Amino acid sequence: MQQKRRTSAGDLSHLRELFRHHIESFDYLITAGLGVMLRDIKPVQVHNPHTGETLRNILSFMILFSFILLWFADDPILGRPQKDRSSEPLYPFECRQTRISYTGKLLADIYFQRDDKAPVREQLNFGQFPIMLMSKCCNLRGHDPQQLVSCKEESSEMGGYFILNGLERVIRPVILPKRNYPMSTVRNSFRDRKEGYTDKAVVIRCVRDDQSSVTVKLYYLQNGSARLGVWIQGKEFLLPVGLILKAFIDTPDREIFASLTCCCNEKFEKDKGAVATQLVGERAQIIINEVADLGLRTHLQCLEHIGEHFQPLMGGLENEPYSVVGDAVLKDYIFVHLDKNEDKFNLLIFMLQKLFSLMDQTSVLDNPDSLQNQEVLLPGHLITIYLKEKLEDWLQRTKKLLQDEMKKESNNINFGSVDSLKKVLEKNPTRQISMAIENMLKTGRINTQTGLDLQQRAGFTVQAERLNFLRFLSHFRAVHRGASFAGLRTTSVRKLLPESWGFLCPVHTPDGEPCGLLNHMTRTCRITSYFDAQGNIRDFSKIRMSILNVMIEVGMTPSLPMLVHAGPPADLSVLLDGRLVGYISSKQVERVVAHLRKLKVSAASVIPDDLEVGYIPLSMGGAYPGLYLNTSPSRFVRPVKNISIPAVEGQNIELIGPFEQVFMEIRCPDGRDGGRKDAFPATHEEIHPTGMLSVVANLTPWSEHNQSPRNMYQCQMAKQTMGFSLQALCNRADQKLYHLKTPQSPIVRTKTYTNYCVDEYPTGTNAIVAVLSYTGYDMEDAMILSKSSVDRGMFHGLVYQTESIDLSDTKGSKSQRLFRRSTTDKSHHSLIDSDGLPYVGQTIKPDEPYYSTYDEIKGAIRTTKRKGSEPAIVDYVAIDGKKHLQKVNIRFRHPRNPIIGDKFSSRHGQKGVCSQLWPDIDMPFSGVTGMRPDLIINPHAFPSRMTIAMLLESVAAKGGSLHGKYVDATPFANSEEKVNEETNGEKSKTLVDELGEMLKVKGFNYHGAEVLYSGVYGTELTCEIFIGPVYYQRLRHMVSDKFQVRSTGMVDQVTRQPIKGRKRGGGIRFGEMERDSLLAHGAAYLLHDRLHTCSDYHIADVCSLCGSILTTSSVQPQIRVREMRGLPPMRAPKKVTCHACKSSKGMETVAMPYVFRYLAAELAAMNIKLTLQLSNATGA
Amino acid sequence: MEGKSYQRFPRVKIREMRHDYLKFELRDTDASVANALRRVMIAEVPTVAIDLVEIEINSSVLNDEFIAHRLGLIPLTSDRAMSMRFSRDCDACDGDGQCEYCSVEFHLRARCHSDQTLDVTSKELLSSDHTVVPVDFSDASGYEASEQRGIIIVKLRRGQELRLRAIARKGIGKDHAKWSPAATVTFMYEPDIRINEEMMDTLSLEEKTAWVDSSPTKVFELDPSTGKVLVVDPEAYTYDDEVIKKAEAMGKPGLVDITAKEDSFIFTVESTGAIKASQLLLNAIEILKQKLDAVRLSEDTVEADDQFGELGAHMRGG
Repeated sequence: MQQKRRTSAGDLSHLRELFRHHIESFDYLITAGLGVMLRDIKPVQVHNPHTGETLRNILSFMILFSFILLWFADDPILGRPQKDRSSEPLYPFECRQTRISYTGKLLADIYFQRDDKAPVREQLNFGQFPIMLMSKCCNLRGHDPQQLVSCKEESSEMGGYFILNGLERVIRPVILPKRNYPMSTVRNSFRDRKEGYTDKAVVIRCVRDDQSSVTVKLYYLQNGSARLGVWIQGKEFLLPVGLILKAFIDTPDREIFASLTCCCNEKFEKDKGAVATQLVGERAQIIINEVADLGLRTHLQCLEHIGEHFQPLMGGLENEPYSVVGDAVLKDYIFVHLDKNEDKFNLLIFMLQKLFSLMDQTSVLDNPDSLQNQEVLLPGHLITIYLKEKLEDWLQRTKKLLQDEMKKESNNINFGSVDSLKKVLEKNPTRQISMAIENMLKTGRINTQTGLDLQQRAGFTVQAERLNFLRFLSHFRAVHRGASFAGLRTTSVRKLLPESWGFLCPVHTPDGEPCGLLNHMTRTCRITSYFDAQGNIRDFSKIRMSILNVMIEVGMTPSLPMLVHAGPPADLSVLLDGRLVGYISSKQVERVVAHLRKLKVSAASVIPDDLEVGYIPLSMGGAYPGLYLNTSPSRFVRPVKNISIPAVEGQNIELIGPFEQVFMEIRCPDGRDGGRKDAFPATHEEIHPTGMLSVVANLTPWSEHNQSPRNMYQCQMAKQTMGFSLQALCNRADQKLYHLKTPQSPIVRTKTYTNYCVDEYPTGTNAIVAVLSYTGYDMEDAMILSKSSVDRGMFHGLVYQTESIDLSDTKGSKSQRLFRRSTTDKSHHSLIDSDGLPYVGQTIKPDEPYYSTYDEIKGAIRTTKRKGSEPAIVDYVAIDGKKHLQKVNIRFRHPRNPIIGDKFSSRHGQKGVCSQLWPDIDMPFSGVTGMRPDLIINPHAFPSRMTIAMLLESVAAKGGSLHGKYVDATPFANSEEKVNEETNGEKSKTLVDELGEMLKVKGFNYHGAEVLYSGVYGTELTCEIFIGPVYYQRLRHMVSDKFQVRSTGMVDQVTRQPIKGRKRGGGIRFGEMERDSLLAHGAAYLLHDRLHTCSDYHIADVCSLCGSILTTSSVQPQIRVREMRGLPPMRAPKKVTCHACKSSKGMETVAMPYVFRYLAAELAAMNIKLTLQLSNATGA
Repeated sequence: MEGKSYQRFPRVKIREMRHDYLKFELRDTDASVANALRRVMIAEVPTVAIDLVEIEINSSVLNDEFIAHRLGLIPLTSDRAMSMRFSRDCDACDGDGQCEYCSVEFHLRARCHSDQTLDVTSKELLSSDHTVVPVDFSDASGYEASEQRGIIIVKLRRGQELRLRAIARKGIGKDHAKWSPAATVTFMYEPDIRINEEMMDTLSLEEKTAWVDSSPTKVFELDPSTGKVLVVDPEAYTYDDEVIKKAEAMGKPGLVDITAKEDSFIFTVESTGAIKASQLLLNAIEILKQKLDAVRLSEDTVEADDQFGELGAHMRGG
């Protein structure tokens, strides 16, 4: 036992892999990302208005951000809620219990430079920054399972989430367009830009080193020219490309023309892969002429032209010459991923060529919904870009403050001293920066002016629910398409495209509203990061250099000495991370690609193992050809075997991305050719077919035998199963937790169960399931449970609920409140302990008091009663032990043993509701073994749903339990090449044969059927019954949370109709459709009962003279009725008068719905009079 | 109620009897009686089981209800159960279940002082009555006899403690499965297997082997010397019809004729250990008799309605 535990706990590496992208992205943020980001923030210059132009240089201040971030080794510093001075470490457990955030101090240095004097460095505290669990700043980092347990965590705690106010929240990765890749796009809205625009454009999302991105669009104009669309300060500017081209580098028009038309060659015009037509030359001419028409001839003129127009928008450059401003525009807004203008020029030429080829239909558009053109926004990156904007805002505000200050009292404040500067800075609190990040994580909303080049503003974070382990795990594997797509009417974004094969699970997506938008990564899918396999930060510039060298070695012509070269089909452009690095002959390219792949795999080479070698071959009007190399982080990758190179010590696992996968030949590991014959020999092979499924989908045994929607349902249901939620349950203060008391490990299991330690958190029970129609109580997906099995503990569960009571936040009143029990009134002493809190283990019934508080000012003791309708047991009371007992968590548990109406499901999307708890003696029994089923389901559950795997599971589990061993049910097992099978040349047995044989050996029916006897009559049932153990899950939907009953109760104030809502004791709406059905049946009395008598029955006084119901009022008679001896005083008859008629003559009483009176009142408010004409029942 | 008597005289022949296992034949009766016997054995023979738990200290990892539930499921020796009273109709204690006639008190005190995990087992339950104690399985011959420690209730680590008082009461399996004395009670109709020898002789040896092997259980055997198919163990037949289907598949329908004898049953009884298996049968017959007596005595009375509800009314009606 001891041994077994160690091995299972020791192998957490597979599990860790699932969480890695979250943690690594945050690790990068703390180790290097923050520094890079701070370096990228531009310095702010404040001019002193009083000194005037001439003295500008003397009294100006330079404010720089330092790139040093002080980060203490044992951060975060323990902050007991009030005092954060203590240096003890704060552990996540404490945050969860006390409902605080798991944060560490963010300190950053800031430089003040005055004129040319030496800069002064000052450390600022940017507040408490949220820390991701298990990141490098987390106190739990590096703890082994035993240490984790002593920190009151799960032994397999994986981290990857944040704790904010005691709640666990995850940043949900969102899909973004692939970075630094020019994408051909067609969108109707492009036409509306301006007159003369077409719907076609090439769009590139350029990403800086600090992950902030700028999207640039290159539009095609009907006249053959193109415009570059640049977003500056929330507005799109459309610039003529010629202008930009000339502004980039000083080059004669002839050269621009030559580079644009280099891909045109009459020789190749009709060849395969030709992308350019004769039109390109004409277009190039138009582009060049356009600039000339503006009167701009030279490079400098173009720059100044741009600078002149953009100066008002470029903050801080008001006094600079136009050419400097122009340079800044190019640097900050156009192709920001590149530094050199030559590179930008080349890229723009490339994009123009791609745009022209899109127009000429020599290449097709890139599908923005395909994973090929997508990447992920990782948690660390989101935080970086958001933090950057917040810091920039802060800097701008600081600048403004300083300027205002200088204007006001320049004479009083000597800005020479740091202290006086700091005084000004205090007005611009630094701690808000971290608060902003914390708020973003709490709400999932980003509060930004620029939009950060993101499609959505909300929905970035979700709560990591610990309903069960699988649900928790899925939060970290989920990838969302983007909140903006959820509202889209079209379904094209939701489609499952072949490009996502192996990266996104085709099975594991919810049905309904988020279907196809919320996907889950497959078991093997990873996301590239800044860290290499050894855990060192990658130096991308170095990597790019070495790739470049390798490429030049193998025959690439570098682009930089600008030479005229041929375009496709002769030569292909090579783009490395969005930079056009050179050209390669299309004859050589296949060899080069193979060589690169070889280098990728070999451990010794400098080429990173996750380099994306996106080779788009020449085609007749297919995707635009080229060799696109990518080293960037946040790409999807997955491992496959490269079978074209000899495996050196098993080193032939290559990581491939969705971009390259499309053009690769990857075969199934069944050893066959997959129908590609010899025309396209496979170069790669899948490692295992289950790699295309997510972890949760991998848990369905033999899922390949099921109808596919059933597997989808199972993925959904696995995540709402009541399972063994947590090992460290006793230390948790979650608001609601579901827990299965008596779980089991499944007999029929896939390899995934062992790999990902799912057995530590089992989700169900192996129930003996008989498939028969017995008494009719198993109709329509109902199921009969054996009462005795339930008595013995099957599916027993608990719901834990924690209530946090904090007396310190006094709303309104200033008096301090404490927990205290009354010493005089002893009536509650059986329920409340001497400290004013409930006894642990005490059962509290509804409306019983469970804690009492003492108000220090009023001096009164108040007890608080428990709400809810079911009794709860006090499980645990946690107190925040400071001098005053004010903050407690009380955890209740509700026993939830199965009752009629609870929901159960197998692992094959077969859910049902318990309809009866049948006594053991009434269940059918086997004559041979005496076995009675735990559960009876109806055979009708199978024919239309075709969950064959459930039948297989039953047979296999029966065989497995007879032989005392687990049965492996990994799907697609027979599509793997079996080595010995081929050597034997013998056909292996089918799965069914294998399972049937297991039963037969033990003297059971081959097909898993048995003769059963009726438990009620003792007679043999007329046919053999299929019976065997099936792993059943108890779902969290329980009647005790859902039943709704009401006879009388609260009514609505306005209408006097019963209120709605289960919580408030309301009724269920008897709506229009229900009304229609009663009308159709002619059940008038019943209808009247429902809609009137049991609803807002009202007797109104109506004045028959004026017909009003509003003007009547009852008048209390003035005359006292004489008291009779010994009798209660007689009530005077109520007298009702009409105010309008000033008489009570025509008073009548009429029964009507109260809303009718309300209607009359509402109408009266609009000056509409409603009159009633009364007649007696016989009719007027 | 005139006419011929259908009275039969069932016979019981005990085949095998062990402390917790019993196999017997029941002949000359029908399925209703056999099933009634089965049902009574499972659900209506009384035993004693822990029903009320008062927990003083529980610092173990399992919560109070969980431990109480586990305690309830521990089988207690209940030979005295038949003579005990149900606490609900106990006069001596007004039904609060705290007197010697209807209840037995248990105490459990366990605390772990060492670094090793302490298993708290049913052996630590101290009974106030030596006749009602947790069932001891150690005499079960050979089955892990080296370390027989009772049923584990909970495991304790250093410093954890469990202290409780429990009251066991008489009850029946109908109310809760913990009172059921039977682990398994099952019966099957005795099969009557007749091989059509003539047709059998037409089969080749391979065919015979194939046919004999088609039965998952060893019912038939092929005598290798004579080449004759013999019925060696008719009771191993599970009515799975495999051999009949096989014969049909071989083109020899009617090769074997298997019928269930309508009036003879083979019972298998396994007890939880609370009562000896043989005693369980006797108690069951006793209770069945009592129930029948109750029906007969109240045949004409209105009380029958109270006692038997619809059944009573039905009987009066004839």
